Amino acid sequence: MLVPVLAIGGLGVVAVMGVVAAFVITGWIGQPIPVLGFEQTFDQPIDFPHTVHASLKQLDHVPADGQAMEGLGLDCTFCHRTVTTQANAGVPPVGFCATCHQVIGADGNPQLDILRDAADIIGDDGPEPVNWQRVHRLPDHVRFVHEPHIRYLTANPSEVKNTTDGVATGPSGVCSTCHGNVAAMEQVEQVEPLKMGQCVDCHRDNGAPTDCVACHH
Amino acid sequence: MATAEFGSHNWGMVVDVDKCIGCNACVIACQAENNIPLNSQDRVERARTISWIRVERYWEGDFPDAKARFIPIMCQHCENAPCEPVCPVYATYHNSEGMNVQVYNRCVGTRYCANGCPYIVRFFNYWEPVWPESLRNHLNPDVTVRSRGIMEKCSFCVHRIRRESRSARSAGTEIADGAVQTACSSACPTSALNFGNFNDPDSKVSKMKEDKRHYTLLDQFGTDPNVIYLAKIDADKKVGSGAAASHD
Ligand code: HEC
Ligand code: HEC
Ligand code: HEC
Ligand code: HEC
Ligand code: HEC
Repeated sequence: MLVPVLAIGGLGVVAVMGVVAAFVITGWIGQPIPVLGFEQTFDQPIDFPHTVHASLKQLDHVPADGQAMEGLGLDCTFCHRTVTTQANAGVPPVGFCATCHQVIGADGNPQLDILRDAADIIGDDGPEPVNWQRVHRLPDHVRFVHEPHIRYLTANPSEVKNTTDGVATGPSGVCSTCHGNVAAMEQVEQVEPLKMGQCVDCHRDNGAPTDCVACHH
Repeated sequence: MATAEFGSHNWGMVVDVDKCIGCNACVIACQAENNIPLNSQDRVERARTISWIRVERYWEGDFPDAKARFIPIMCQHCENAPCEPVCPVYATYHNSEGMNVQVYNRCVGTRYCANGCPYIVRFFNYWEPVWPESLRNHLNPDVTVRSRGIMEKCSFCVHRIRRESRSARSAGTEIADGAVQTACSSACPTSALNFGNFNDPDSKVSKMKEDKRHYTLLDQFGTDPNVIYLAKIDADKKVGSGAAASHD
């Protein structure tokens, strides 16, 4: 009697230790556990495909109403307007999307109708903002500024990492260093860890400040 | 010389006490700029207020010849800071730009530094900071909101320094003298507070600190502050008041 109980008990202990170890290891690496559904993507109010807008390649994505298409190959800075000048890259207002989508895309396309409703083109509840979910978010005690990075990487293309399916020249060519190949993403996800180690490694290699106060103040 | 490179500056302040009229504009400006929690009556009564800069008022002489004197006091950014060696986690240190820096996320709240500071310019967050709903959108996005259990103090408005440094690098120029102003110095109506780079011999502050009225607070401790005071000129006295007398 005693032996099986011990065996089962021992198994339980091993199982618990295994789960704890999994948490510790994944915590250490800084990656959430995918099995438990913690992925670095969020359901957005509109399924906005970066592929369609930013890629230059033939796409798998077929719009609800259209035929298979090539990406539009828009510059990242076309939509993320303040990325070259300010701390935040910024996400365009609905009115900006509407300049195209007032006419582009068939009526009744469910995703575009959410957009048109928000831009007050259809429906009669007035204009309202789209509550995009933030994907990349550093803790509040870190100050990240896009401007110096875009400026430096544009001037030093040898430091750029990862490739992009979109426009590869100018400011749009450097985003992949930290954001991966966004132009190939149906749904934006965080691919680089963007932990302090990565920031400081690059800063050290490129003569950028590594003083704590540069990032923490 | 002044370039936008990190570490090529020695930031400091010259406070001309003679010009201070005790208006407290600097205190308000600092409070708003740096997301400092509101000092409610309850906190004042418990002597747990936070105020990175304060204007001390004291009386000189006896009634009826008493004179009101004011002196603004903020973190002195000492070269030999008593607060630094006592920190067990290296959350406060002297950086290469002459500033005493507090890294909030590194801080574990031992409060040793505050006990070590002779100027009483370090403040502990005894509570989670709260603002009334109407002020929520007034928070400065460039400054971290400190949570409960963290030590904080004047940062010389380092976010403004970093911002000017970035725009200078972006424009390919140097940081011009006077381009960086702290919240307090830009609010001061009489230019009693002056901020600048001591490494540049031609900067306004470098010239001001050559004034023979200069002195530093609690000189006897040898803290070697980066905040220099210029003594009050008193028409009734031959020499300036305060520690400046010892320099003559
Ligand atoms: C047509 C406009 C448009 C273009 C062009 C565009 N984006 Fe976006 N981007 C958006 C919108 C809208 C969002 C918010 C929705 C989302 O996260 O999917 C977004 C989100 C993002 C995010 C995630 C932001 C977060 O929440 O952390 C990144 C990173 C990003 N874009 C990078 C890029 C890059 C890199 C390019 C160029 C290859 C690019 N974008 C081109 C509109 C655009
Ligand atoms: C330069 C013009 C342009 C702009 C600006 C633009 N789009 Fe598009 N978008 C297109 C084109 C072209 C398509 C492909 C439409 C098709 O074939 O049905 C598309 C497709 C889409 C689709 C996919 C529809 C489907 O059925 O798969 C969504 C969603 C979308 N856009 C949302 C947005 C949002 C949100 C913005 C603003 C951030 C935006 N677009 C800005 C041109 C644009
Ligand atoms: C050096 C790394 C780096 C590069 C290069 C970079 N980003 Fe980012 N990006 C970040 C980090 C880190 C965040 C999260 C910032 C935060 O939480 O404060 C972010 C956030 C964003 C966001 C969402 C929040 C915001 O700022 O609006 C967008 C959109 C974005 N990046 C777009 C871009 C685009 C477009 C480019 C290329 C022009 C680019 N980024 C280049 C690191 C980078
Ligand atoms: C690919 C390399 C690279 C990565 C990764 C990187 N940086 Fe930078 N960063 C730089 C360079 C180069 C500069 C200086 C640019 C210049 O010359 O002005 C810089 C400048 C900065 C500045 C401005 C410093 C100042 O002078 O005030 C901040 C803040 C900053 N980085 C934060 C971060 C943070 C936070 C991260 C991590 C999420 C990060 N960086 C990741 C290369 C990088
Ligand atoms: C180039 C930018 C950069 C510099 C320089 C830098 N850090 Fe960080 N630090 C970060 C980022 C980004 C994070 C957030 C990582 C994450 O997402 O957990 C961070 C996180 C931290 C944390 C962890 C906080 C927590 O709650 O987990 C501490 C502690 C810290 N930094 C201390 C320091 C100290 C001390 C220095 C100076 C020696 C320093 N940092 C310099 C970018 C930087």
